[in-house]
Formats: sequence, C-alpha cells, structure tokens
Amino acid sequence: MARPRGTDGSLLSSLPWTLAALLISLAPHVPFIPLWITAAFAGCAIWRYVIETRRLTLPATWLRAALALGCFLGVLATYGAISGVGPGSALLAIMASLKLLETRKRRDQFVLLFLSIFLVMSSLLREQYLWSLPYMLVSILVIMTAWLRMSAGRSQTARQSFATGGRLLAYAAPLAIVMWVFFPRISTPFWAVPIDTSQASSGLSDTMSPGDISELSMSDAVAFRVTFDGAIPEPRDRYWRGLVLTRFNGRTWSGREPSISRSAHDQIQFGGNRIDYEVTLEPTRQQWLFALDMPYTWSVSQSFMGPEQQLARSTPIDQRINYSATSYTDYRVQTDLSRQYRIWYSGLPEGSNPRTAALARQIRAAAGSDRAYVEAVLKKLNEEEYYYTLEPPPLGSNPVDRFLFDTRRGFCEHYASAFSVMMRSVGIPTRIVLGYHGGELNPMGGHLIVRQSDAHAWTEIWLDGLGWYRIDPTAAVAPERIEMSASDAAFDGIGASWGLAAPSRLLHQLTLTWDVLNAKWNEWILGYGTETQNSFMKWLGMNEPSWRKMLLTLVGLVIGIVMLLSVVMMLRYRPPARDSAAILYQQFVRKSGLEIRTGETARVFARRVQASGAIPPATVTTITESYLDARYGQGGAVACERLKQAVGAIA
Amino acid sequence: MSSIPWPFPDPRGLVTSLRTRANQRVRRWARKRQGTDPDTTTLGSGRVYILPTGVGLLFGLMAFAMLLGSMNYNNNLSFVLTFFLIGVGFVAMHQCQRNLVGLELTFAGADPVFAGQSMRFRIAVTNRSKSARYGIRLYAPDTYSDVHDLQPGESKVFVLPVPTDERGWISLDRFGVRTLFPFELFRSWAWLHMNIRGLVYPAPLNSAPQPPPTMVAHGHRQHDARGEEDFAGLRRYHEGDSPRHVAWKAYARSGQLLSKQFAGADTSSQWFDFNEIAAVDVEKRLSILTRWIVDADRTLEDYGLRVPGTEYEPAHGERHRQKCLEALALFASGDA
Repeated sequence: MARPRGTDGSLLSSLPWTLAALLISLAPHVPFIPLWITAAFAGCAIWRYVIETRRLTLPATWLRAALALGCFLGVLATYGAISGVGPGSALLAIMASLKLLETRKRRDQFVLLFLSIFLVMSSLLREQYLWSLPYMLVSILVIMTAWLRMSAGRSQTARQSFATGGRLLAYAAPLAIVMWVFFPRISTPFWAVPIDTSQASSGLSDTMSPGDISELSMSDAVAFRVTFDGAIPEPRDRYWRGLVLTRFNGRTWSGREPSISRSAHDQIQFGGNRIDYEVTLEPTRQQWLFALDMPYTWSVSQSFMGPEQQLARSTPIDQRINYSATSYTDYRVQTDLSRQYRIWYSGLPEGSNPRTAALARQIRAAAGSDRAYVEAVLKKLNEEEYYYTLEPPPLGSNPVDRFLFDTRRGFCEHYASAFSVMMRSVGIPTRIVLGYHGGELNPMGGHLIVRQSDAHAWTEIWLDGLGWYRIDPTAAVAPERIEMSASDAAFDGIGASWGLAAPSRLLHQLTLTWDVLNAKWNEWILGYGTETQNSFMKWLGMNEPSWRKMLLTLVGLVIGIVMLLSVVMMLRYRPPARDSAAILYQQFVRKSGLEIRTGETARVFARRVQASGAIPPATVTTITESYLDARYGQGGAVACERLKQAVGAIA
Repeated sequence: MSSIPWPFPDPRGLVTSLRTRANQRVRRWARKRQGTDPDTTTLGSGRVYILPTGVGLLFGLMAFAMLLGSMNYNNNLSFVLTFFLIGVGFVAMHQCQRNLVGLELTFAGADPVFAGQSMRFRIAVTNRSKSARYGIRLYAPDTYSDVHDLQPGESKVFVLPVPTDERGWISLDRFGVRTLFPFELFRSWAWLHMNIRGLVYPAPLNSAPQPPPTMVAHGHRQHDARGEEDFAGLRRYHEGDSPRHVAWKAYARSGQLLSKQFAGADTSSQWFDFNEIAAVDVEKRLSILTRWIVDADRTLEDYGLRVPGTEYEPAHGERHRQKCLEALALFASGDA
C-alpha cells in the first residue's frame, strides 16, 4: 500500500484562501454550533496549514477514519439528530475540517469550496439580518478568489485573483438581480420545513399563571411592525388581539388549541371606520396571528378565526410573514349567548380564592346591576392602593386572594386575572385576551413598532345586550400604561435617571433609523413573496402576472444580459488600438503595392519598395524614418505629422 | 474465470466504442468545416467550442439543489446566493470562451529527432489583446504541453512532445488548444489542422559493426621547428593509429579512445555504403548507417554516404550530417 508521502507545498498559494473561505462561511454558525466543533475546525485548519508549510505528511487513514467517526457520534450525541439546520451545519463544519486533513491535490479543494458554499447557504436559512446580504457577498467573493487561486494559472497573483473574482461577481450581479426579481415565488413548500429548535420561542405563552413567574419580559425584540394605510389609531385603541384564555384552574388560565369556528366571524357586527393596515410578523413558532381588535379581513393563507375571535394559522409561524388586514375598532360580538356558554364562560374551580369570591358577592349585592358591579370593581382597583409594577412578589396558592388583599402589586396579568375571577364569581361570562397593546410610532418609517415588551393581557366580559365587551383592568390602575407605550415610559425613565436627555435622544433616533432600514429590508427583500411579487409585476406593467409570464420575462432578460456581457468581454479582449502612425504606415504599404513579408523590418521593406520604383525613393525614406521615429523614437506628434504629409503626397 | 463466451457485447466496451466513433465523427465534421489552417492562425469565436467539465456539472447540480431549497424555505437571501452562483456560472462560460478567442497560433518548427525520441513540435501562441489569458494548454492525441499564462502582448512557445517510432515524416494533423479558466467549470477548446510535420531519422543502432576501413590519402607533411605538426582536432581511434597520438586526457574524461589529428597529416575519409553492409533488413542497414554517421560526426571525420539513388561526397559539418541523415530518413519513402 502506498503510504502518503510528505506534502510538496504546492497548495501554499491556494490553501490560505481556501481556509479563509471556510472561516468566513463558518463564522456565522459559531454562536449556534457546539464549541467543540469550532475548536475541531480551528485545530484541523492550523494542523493542515502547518503540514503544508513544513512539508509534513498527512495523517494516516486510520487516524482520519477514527476522527470522522468520533465527530459524527459527537454531533449525534449533541443534537440527537442529523437533519435540520443546526445539526446540518454542524456536520458540514465537521466534514470541512476532516476533508482538510486529506486534501492533497489542488483539485481536492473543490470539495472544500462546495462545502463552504453550503455553509453560507445554511447560515442564511438560520438568520436573515440586514447585514447578512453584504456578509454573504463578501463570503462569495472570498470563495471565488479561493477558487481562482486553485484553478487559474500559476502566474496570477492573489491580488489579481481577487480582482478577477470581483469582476466576475460584478458581471454576475445583473443576472442575479433579474433572476431574483422575476423568478416566480411559490407560497407552499415542497416538503416540511424542519423547525430549528435551537432558537427559543419569543412569542406569548399559551397559558397565564400570574404570580408563578414574577417577572415580565422587557425584551426590546420586535414582535411585529404595522404600516397603516390611513391615520394611525389612537393609543387607547391599539389593542392587538392574539389568543384568548377561557379556563381557570385556580392558578393558571389556559385556552383551547387553535380551531376553526365557522360562526365566529358572523357573530361580529362591525361599525365605525374601517382601518387598513399591513403587518410584518416576526416568527413566533406559534400559530397565533395578531390583528387590531376587531379583525374583519386578513390575508394569510390557511388561516382562520377561532370560536373566541382569535386568529390562527394551521401551521406555526416559523418565518417572518407579511399580511394585510382590516379592522374595526367599533364592534359588537355575540350579543346572543346561550345559557350553557354563559355557564362555561363563568366557571371557576370549587373553593379556590374564597376571599375574592366573598368580596365579589358582597360588592355585587351592593351594586344592584351587573353594569354597576363592573364599575364598582374598576373603581375599587383605581381608588384603592394597587400598584402597577413589573417586578411583583410571588403569590403562592390562591394567588388572586393573595394579590387582591395582601401584595396589591402586579402587572397586566395580575389585574386581568383578578378582575376575571371577580366577574366569574358572580356569574358574569369572562375571558382573558392575550396580545399586545400600543406600539411605538417610528416617525421616519411611518410605521408602528410593537415589541415583546408591549405584550398585554386584558379581559372581555359578556353583558346582556352588549355582547362581549373589552375591559382593561390595568387601565384602571395605571392609565399611563395605556396612554403611553411601555417602551416610551422606559425611555423617559432612562433619560431622566442619567440626567442626559439629549444623547439618549440621539441614540433613540439612531435606533429608529435602524428600525426603518430593518422594516424596509423585511418588507422588500425578505418579504418578497407571491403577493409582493405579483403587485410588483403589475407595477412594472405586466398584465395578470403568472409564473409562465415571469419565467418567460426572466429567460428573455437573462439572454439579453448575457449578450450584453458577451459584448463587454469582447471589448475587454480586443486588440489594443493601432496608433495613428501604424495606420498611416499601413496606407503607405497599400499604396506601394507590395506586402510586408514575415519578419521583414521597415528598412528592409523600404529597400524593396525603392527597388520596385513605385514610389520615389526619397519619399520612401522620409516615410520610413518618420514612421520609425514616431513609433519607436522621440519624434512624437511632429514625426507623425511629417509621416501624414509624406503619405498624403503619394499619388 | 471460465471462458464461457458472453453472448452480449460488453457494455463498457460498447460505450467506449460509441464514444470513440462519436468523437471521430465530430472531429471529421470540424475538420471539414474548418479546412486546413495556415501556419499562423487566429482563433475566431466560431471555432472555439465549449462544454461543462465534471466540476461544472456538479456545480450546476448544486445550484439546482440550492434553488429547490430556497423555494422550499421561501428564503429570499438564499435565492440571492443561488442566483449569484448561477450568474457566476454564465459569466464563467463566456469568460472561458473569451480566454481563447483571438489567440494567434504559429507553427514555430520542429527539430528532427531519431526514431524513439519524442518529436517536439513548437507552437508559438501570441496574445494580441489587452487582457491576460490564463491557463492555456496545447494538446494532441496522447500528449499535451505545459500550462502557460499569456500577459497582454506576450508570446510563448508551447512544446507538444509526440513519441516517434519509425523514420520518415511525422505529421501533426490535428492539435488543440484549450483552457479551463476561470473556475474549471467549463472547458473551451479549438482544433487546428495545420500542415505541420517533422523529420524522424532512423534510430542509430547500438551494437553496430565497425565502420568500413578508412581510406588514407597521404598528405604533405609540414614540420614546424620542433618537428611537431599543427593540432587540428580529434577523431575516433582506429587500429594502427600511433599511441603517441591518442588523446589520453580525452579518454580519461569520456572513456572513448580518440586520436589527435594534425594539419597536413593524412586526411582520412570513409565511405558509408548501403550496399556494402552485410545485414539483410533495410531498416537495420539504415540504422547502422545512422550510427556510423553520428559517430563519425562526433569525431570530426570526413565521411561520404552512398545509398541507392543518392551519393554525398565525403565531408563533415552540421549541414552535411543533416543532408545525410535526411537521405536515410526518407530512403525509399517516395517522399524525398
């Protein structure tokens, strides 16, 4: 068996570039893949480079096989699977590391470059930020340069390879743009997109247990952005309806799984002004959709309205989606509720929160009517000493009793839960709506940013003749929470506490600008889907866009651009322009009636012309000497002029 | 293995033979289409052919897979990546073809060799354009040149070594020029059919019999003051030469016995006659004659050659050697 011999250093011109290409394509994965894989790659890369510079031998086959097996089992142990973006990119990184150790010839590096392209691709599947595009372009440039270092002639310097790679990429850009714009987008995937579980869910939770976890997310992460077609609704109307919780076990509120209700939409009577808007929803990995209370239409495929007027899609939202919707803030829902449902919506577990139940019955007896009772409860929350805080104390068992009578501190969930329990205690049907409230207006982009910190919980009670009616108990305690968005409040606090309003305002402006860029990016680049493409095609003047028309346009444009490119390249490769002296001399040759023989110099040719007698010998000498002086000597323009006159003088 | 005849044609052999026949057809077509090229030919775009390489096919497959992935994930950024790669593929195709178009190829001669040595056809390739050409290689059946880059205005001589086995003219009916630049995704090439030939001398026989005895014409001796003659050169030692005249220093260097020749000394001349060689085989006789000529040339001896139809008076020198060897190379080939 032929033992691998020492390397010959022939890869030294291309290996550093290949390593750079791998490094740049692996870098975005580093935060997501286990540290040992990054370490393994770094180790293999350095090892391989040292092998090449010191002309050592490559590791033996058994060692490489053992390493491969070890790494494969490592990935399997870390992820428990080998499919999906996470384990997939980990495997790619491992394959690249191990392939490095057996790369012997220049051509072996093809595999490495293919791997780095796949690494770039999988990083794009993971994240699509604004900077992902320029980063990807730089990655391709480095990969192309490495490719050229490997395949081009040896006389090309690294700098030339880089320039050539850049030029070829620049040529490819118009083709890429045309294909990107016109390639028909389909809305349904061919196969199930595996969910990347390495990213935690950032949406609302499906249940609500006030007092269990005594902190609220103050995450600045964007939940969704909204662009309104007309005026932006007042802050007090900005309730973004999400999911609805109907069951209470004494501690925890929960709702039902997303399900279709054929009659839910019919139960709503809409009134007032229609509000048109467009929502760009960040992935939540849940099925809920968010819309301004109360949604009338929404353009999401395979979506539906549930029995409690909550919107959901049949599949989880794993990718950012863009949809337009219309809502009416003035509405009535289900003015007619059957007795069974009234009992269902006012159910409470036996014996839980007894103090609250007693208090409720007491207030109800004093109030006389349901409406007066509701007002009395809200008044109690407003006038007595209840505090709005984001860090309330934990509540233990019978949390509503503890909250209402002892701690008296809480945020929206506590108030919504306590209010609902009080309503249900006297038989008023009540449900809790989870969603978002408010949102910050970005004056530059003209859109509303709704963040995770805007998450909110409010209640809906059913009153005879009124139907389901929204009541926000938090507003009774902390009206400013409702009039201003949470992030505005937070911002004012920061500015005041530092005593530096101006710099933080500037910072805030920058944040808003960045948000505008991100919003446009999401809308135009990432959100370029079936509908956006269709409307863009119409804007371009295509009648009734179809995939057939788009493909035909694509092919036509690609052919056109390729022909244009071909012309550009022809010009690049054309011979240099003959200088005017050479052109004049050619005229002289033509007039002489002779032809220059191969290898014949101007002076030798001159003697032949003189011998032929076609042109006066003195003229021939003048022409020849002027030509040589203009072309190779110091004669310049003067000699060229002399040549011109002499040639012109020949009959 | 048993030798039961397999009733069906060997599939691999079938494919190979089909490929060979297809190749031949394509080549005949190209030959017919292009005709015979002059000794200096500039490659026009119509005769530069292009096809994807294996790597190119793999690249296309990868781009297609990436397109499917992008469609499935509906991921617009990976669409960007995919379309950039496809665009690069298109650009590479044109760049690859342009890398050859406009090159000027000139036959720059081929020095005669002895049969068994490889004939080195020299072809000068000139880049008359403003851009450099990378990774150019010439090739012919079973042989190829080194890979060279050509800077703008640069001209380089490519050597195509072609093995020879028999004397006579060897012609290079067809050779190609090809490039894989920029990414080895495509191979573009052009076929050239120039009238190129090189002369192959018979191989000098290693164990040749002794050449016929030297005929000595007695010269007029001139002695200088010390009674020594003027040294004129060396020739091969023959029996009967004075040991005094043996060049012992040269013997120590080369292991070959040489005799010093002196001006005014006896001029010896040999006749190498085809008909006087005892061997039967014509080729063997020619080989023997070649050996004698090569040796005689090395020792500066005069020799004459007599083959049926041709006779060269004894002489020496490069030109004489060429004439004689050429006569042997083309003996009875009807080509002289």
